[in-house]
Amino acid sequence: MTRPILNIEHLSTCFRTDRGTVTAVDDVSFDVFPGETVGIVGESGCGKTVTSKSIMRLLPPRNSFIKPESRIWFRTPSLRAEPSEPSRTDAPTDPSHAEKVPRIDLAHADERFLRGIRGKHIAMIFQEPMTSLNPVFKIGWQIEEALKYHTQLGASDRRARTIEMLRLVEIPNPEKRIDEYPHQLSGGMRQRVMIAIALCCEPSVLIADEPTTALDVTIQAQILQLMDNLKRRLGTAIVLITHNLGVVAQVCDRVLVMYAGRVIESAPVHELFHAPRHPYTQALLGSITKAGNKQHGKRMPTIDGIVPSLFDLPKGCRFQDRCKFKQEKCASLEPGLESAGDGRLVRCHYPLLAEHSSQLTLGATR
Amino acid sequence: MYAYIFRKILYNIPVYLGIILIMMAALRVNDPVAAYIGKNVTPESIALKRHSMGLDRPFLPIATESESQPFDPNVKPWFRVGSYVTTHVGSDGVKRTTRHAVGIYSPGNTQYFEFLWRIARLDFGTKDKPYNSWQYESENVGEKLRQAIPPTVKVTVPTLILTSSVAIFVGMLSAYFRGTWLDRTLMFFVVLGMSVSVVVFIVIGQTIGSGGLKELLGFEVFASSGYEPGIRNWITYCALPVIIGVVVGIGYDTRFYRAVMVEETSRDYITTAIAKGATKRKIMFVHMLKNAMIPVITRIMITIPFLVTGSIVMEYQFRIPGMGKLLIDALSNKDFPIIQTFSAVFALIFIVTNILTDVLYALVDPRVRLS
Amino acid sequence: MLTRLFKSRGVGKFLRNRLAVGALVIIGMYALVGGFVVLGDVFPGKAGISLKEVEEPIGPPINFPGFLERAKPEKRAEVCRFYIDEFKRALRSRDPDARRENLKQIRYAERIAAPLEPEALDTIRENAEAIYDELSESENLDTDPAMLPVIEKLEAECAKFFAPITGWNKVKHDLRWSLGTDRQGRSNFVRGIYSIKVALAVGLVVAFISVLIGTLLGASAAFLGGWIDHAVVWLYSTLSSMPELVLLAVIVYAFSGTMFDRASSPWLALIPVYAAMCMEFWIGPCRVIRGEVMKIKELEYVQAVKAVGFGRMYILIKHVVPNTAHLMFINFSLLLIAAIKYEVVLSFLGLGVKVGPSWGRMIQESTPEVINGFFWQIGWATVLMFVLVLAFNIVADALQDAFDPKHVG
Repeated sequence: MTRPILNIEHLSTCFRTDRGTVTAVDDVSFDVFPGETVGIVGESGCGKTVTSKSIMRLLPPRNSFIKPESRIWFRTPSLRAEPSEPSRTDAPTDPSHAEKVPRIDLAHADERFLRGIRGKHIAMIFQEPMTSLNPVFKIGWQIEEALKYHTQLGASDRRARTIEMLRLVEIPNPEKRIDEYPHQLSGGMRQRVMIAIALCCEPSVLIADEPTTALDVTIQAQILQLMDNLKRRLGTAIVLITHNLGVVAQVCDRVLVMYAGRVIESAPVHELFHAPRHPYTQALLGSITKAGNKQHGKRMPTIDGIVPSLFDLPKGCRFQDRCKFKQEKCASLEPGLESAGDGRLVRCHYPLLAEHSSQLTLGATR
Repeated sequence: MYAYIFRKILYNIPVYLGIILIMMAALRVNDPVAAYIGKNVTPESIALKRHSMGLDRPFLPIATESESQPFDPNVKPWFRVGSYVTTHVGSDGVKRTTRHAVGIYSPGNTQYFEFLWRIARLDFGTKDKPYNSWQYESENVGEKLRQAIPPTVKVTVPTLILTSSVAIFVGMLSAYFRGTWLDRTLMFFVVLGMSVSVVVFIVIGQTIGSGGLKELLGFEVFASSGYEPGIRNWITYCALPVIIGVVVGIGYDTRFYRAVMVEETSRDYITTAIAKGATKRKIMFVHMLKNAMIPVITRIMITIPFLVTGSIVMEYQFRIPGMGKLLIDALSNKDFPIIQTFSAVFALIFIVTNILTDVLYALVDPRVRLS
Repeated sequence: MLTRLFKSRGVGKFLRNRLAVGALVIIGMYALVGGFVVLGDVFPGKAGISLKEVEEPIGPPINFPGFLERAKPEKRAEVCRFYIDEFKRALRSRDPDARRENLKQIRYAERIAAPLEPEALDTIRENAEAIYDELSESENLDTDPAMLPVIEKLEAECAKFFAPITGWNKVKHDLRWSLGTDRQGRSNFVRGIYSIKVALAVGLVVAFISVLIGTLLGASAAFLGGWIDHAVVWLYSTLSSMPELVLLAVIVYAFSGTMFDRASSPWLALIPVYAAMCMEFWIGPCRVIRGEVMKIKELEYVQAVKAVGFGRMYILIKHVVPNTAHLMFINFSLLLIAAIKYEVVLSFLGLGVKVGPSWGRMIQESTPEVINGFFWQIGWATVLMFVLVLAFNIVADALQDAFDPKHVG
């Protein structure tokens, strides 16, 4: 049985603001297995990006912190070769954990150790290819930089590897492009460069934070296709953060739906699209415009109301104000994340039954 | 790149022509000769003075000649456009009418183009063709200028280099330790320093640096004022002004550089670099510094006028016979040739630094260079 | 326009900044003092501080403060000598009427010659001189404790020269003397206070006119475009390509020999300074506001108003300019600081304030004192300016934080 490469347990990330401390990600747990793609979806501000940045520990310590009970277990065989001692390891004593693969807790690891992880074992690509590349350095230099930190390659080998990476991300004429500056490339090309930077050290996990949002639709498809191909080729696990359900349907194996800092539903992608159990998921799926569906004269379905402010969360279920199926209990008690069969989890007192939700047929499912 | 430099030079030419025009016009609002020699002189001596500076020629190709102050008889207009009459009551209560004639003159005969031609050749008088100061009648303006440049350079250039490098360092330090006691202490002192006038720093610095230090050490390290040429005398006469200049300048610059660095830390590419596994030091000194060079260069350019200002005050107080001191002295003596020439040269230096800045800009930022 | 600004969120943010509010209170106190000084120009001799009062000596030209530090015996003796000489000169004449007339001339602010017969004053003078002669026996007064009672006796004798002062006059006298005198025997304290008016006048007038010109030119350049825009841009890029102090110097020169240059009124004499600074300072707000208007005019709401068919000027004044109010305020506060500082530099160089004191002139005049170790004049001018500029700096920072947080620098 394969074991998760990344398992996140009770991750809570808080921000200190002028108006007090706010918990942007609240008790989020999920696993990522080698080679799979996990999607995290939700509206803006639901905590998707904060979750991804927390895994990489990219949030500024000045105004944010991860709660002490949070665990981000990262496990990889090559970690044993790491020279620096991880600050918190969990040497498996349980005999059932026969493989001697240590796991370390990134949530409380020190900066020096994290630097060895970032870029080498876990890499990340960002939403804005326009600003995520340093404008004053050549793209070749920026890819080589990661190689410089994490490999022993010499200068000429690094350059060769960089050209190879550029070719891998399907940038035409890589020998020439390597000496260009970011502003000379289009958005799609820049995102390819970002992917090349992320993948050049062959990380085991790639976190993609809305990688296609800022791109044209045609480019979006290309980039997703590229990521999918690379995943297959390199066996990288991908955590894909997006608000675009179409993208999720296209590439993900499992999906987490987040709402106001909480995971509200988690399911394999097909099951989720076929039969959402949480009213929010159902509403979210209902609001996709479907190509080919004749919808003349009908308003596009939307979810009424707004996401509650994190400063002012309601008692009980966080979705209650917008829920069509709200009952008394919803206002007083917040539901836990309960198992709903088939490896699914849902955070609802009254999860929808399969027959209710399967009326929704989705053109977007594979 | 060459095209870029050429374009910049081309763009700055009309700006410089404008500066000279505005400056010369402003200097002629009041009769410079009357301002210099006062009222109680004969009209003949005024006319003589006017003629020596070419003030009796038209200022621009279109000019008005009045009866009371006729133009040089050798200067004839191409043609007359028209004429008008004004009346005014003199101090003796008698009404006088004056005829004015408007004419178009050859540009070669005008003061404006004549002066521009001087600047273009950088010719402010030679032994054979003098262009003399009014106050020191035997001295050439060009010679005075040549003598005044080295002292000014000796004060301003070290000040600029030291101020910028120290301020960038302190600003980065402050940004790096943002929010800690170090940052707060630094910024506290910077704001305090900024609220004290430059002149106070100079006066107090002069006293402490020369007299105070002498009392403490028993021998003189820095002179309280004066100037001697030669590199060996630099420490005695110029080091103290430079130190004071740096202390004054750091305050303003540090705050700016800190803000720039803080702004750079919030950029997306920094997150990318961290995600790549870069160390904090690499991020600071490689990624951010090169990006920050753009505002830094802009800032250094903005600092130059302050520096000129500062050096004028500094030269004035330390009696260093640089361009600033000479200009201030000329202003109090109403020494018109010096004022006009030195202002034009100051502006020229300024324009040249502007062009240089733009070139540096292009060297640092590929977006500028390649667009 | 103002109501819209005050209703915005920035005001709340500004007022929550306790430091800034404190600074605003300090500025208010300065403004009150400045206003009080102005009364001296309106009702000379009755209220406020008039120019005459500032420029007249209040005693011997010896720099020592009236508190904190007791003057050294040597200095106390010098002060007495000064008064003895004053009275000696007044009483030199044989003619009693002339003597009486001369005595009337002796006047140091509140202090006037005692209402005694000239003969009586002459006796006092002779007594005082006799005591003074005793002092000359000592080699060094400062280190000779035996001479202290003699000096006290001398001081008591000299005090009889003047009519006693009581009540409010006594308070005024002590205040005047609190920071000593400069080399012409003028009160440092009063000169420093008077300079608040000068600084605030320069700051307010220059900042107001500069922001006004800058806004008008900047807004119309950006909004109307075309040749107006080109002309404005050319004008400011030309002016800003000139070193500030050179431009200021040229303008000050242009005013030399005019009525303003020779004016005896402190208000008229400031006009060249105003003109010189405004020439330079309008560029900053003009640039910023031109940029902002460029941005605003592309916004939907302006386009919408345009589509409805309102005139361009109406849109500019009613819809565009009010939205730059925060920038005007920020620029106003920044220029105010700059103007106050520049006035000091200009006056220091002898190009600025020519009539009456100003902090720059005080600092300039104190240079020889500083070399001799007397810091009261420069210290007082510096402290007054420092507190005001610091307060304005804090307010300007807070304004920027509250209304324009994106700004750098």
